[in-house]
Amino acid sequence: MIIHLGHYMALSCVLFSIGAAGFLFRRNVLISLMSIELMMNAVNLTFIAANRWQSAVPSADGTAAPVIPHHGHIFTFFVIAVAAAEAAVGLAIVLAFYRLRKTVRTDAADMLRG
Amino acid sequence: MPPASIQQLVAFGFFAAVAVASALATVIMRNPIRNAVGLFVHVLSLAGLYISLSAHFLTAVQLIVYVGAVVVLFVFVIMLLGPASEAPTDAAGRLPRAIGAGSMVAAGLFLASVVKDLHPDRVANPPGFGTLESVGRELFGPAMIPFEMASVLLTAAIVGAFAVARSHHGKVSMTTGEPADGSHR
Repeated sequence: MIIHLGHYMALSCVLFSIGAAGFLFRRNVLISLMSIELMMNAVNLTFIAANRWQSAVPSADGTAAPVIPHHGHIFTFFVIAVAAAEAAVGLAIVLAFYRLRKTVRTDAADMLRG
Repeated sequence: MPPASIQQLVAFGFFAAVAVASALATVIMRNPIRNAVGLFVHVLSLAGLYISLSAHFLTAVQLIVYVGAVVVLFVFVIMLLGPASEAPTDAAGRLPRAIGAGSMVAAGLFLASVVKDLHPDRVANPPGFGTLESVGRELFGPAMIPFEMASVLLTAAIVGAFAVARSHHGKVSMTTGEPADGSHR
């Protein structure tokens, strides 16, 4: 049995659905943020696996070795950068929210309700 | 020495099983520290999967950014909140949330069953694929402007996190005008 692209894709589908289910089911803000990280990691795995199985680009004159561009790796790099920024801002918001409400339940975040 | 396909199979099977189990632990566990440990193991197992895809540079980035920064940040906040980080549970509104979560799992499993038969040809490992040098050449070549914008984004995120998390002593509750003492409900 050889590991194909489909195995990685199926794995990241499962991981993404676990993260999405956790985001929808849990009411702890911290665990919601962790579920978001799970989903982002699943997407990163998809990018990298698809990059590995993409076909090589032959060079113009056909003499040099074919090169696989790293577009998926570049995308994953930026997703990781954005995820780090999101975690920092999100946890700062959690701290401010806790200071205001003394709880981390998502139900308590109703200050903007009319 | 077993053949390369057996090695790949064992590596993928091990890291995939650890990734799924730790993702479930991240979502299910009651104590937030255990959730954070689940996230830690999940991130490590994903780094192993990245190695099996010969993405060496991103393995290092994953270890530095996620294990070194994001998980530690989560643990900091959990420690800072103490016992309050464990939200009390009640059964109200559990059914709609369970329906939403269950439909997400069903959609994910359906998608997994659809995509699991994809098997395009894999090009033999070209020299330098996924290494720091070859990814860096693309990062500082075609992806130069997004890379610089990412640094602006990270600076803005740091400033924003400071501005949001700075303590406001003596401020009052936004809704009631009373001191924010947690007497809500």
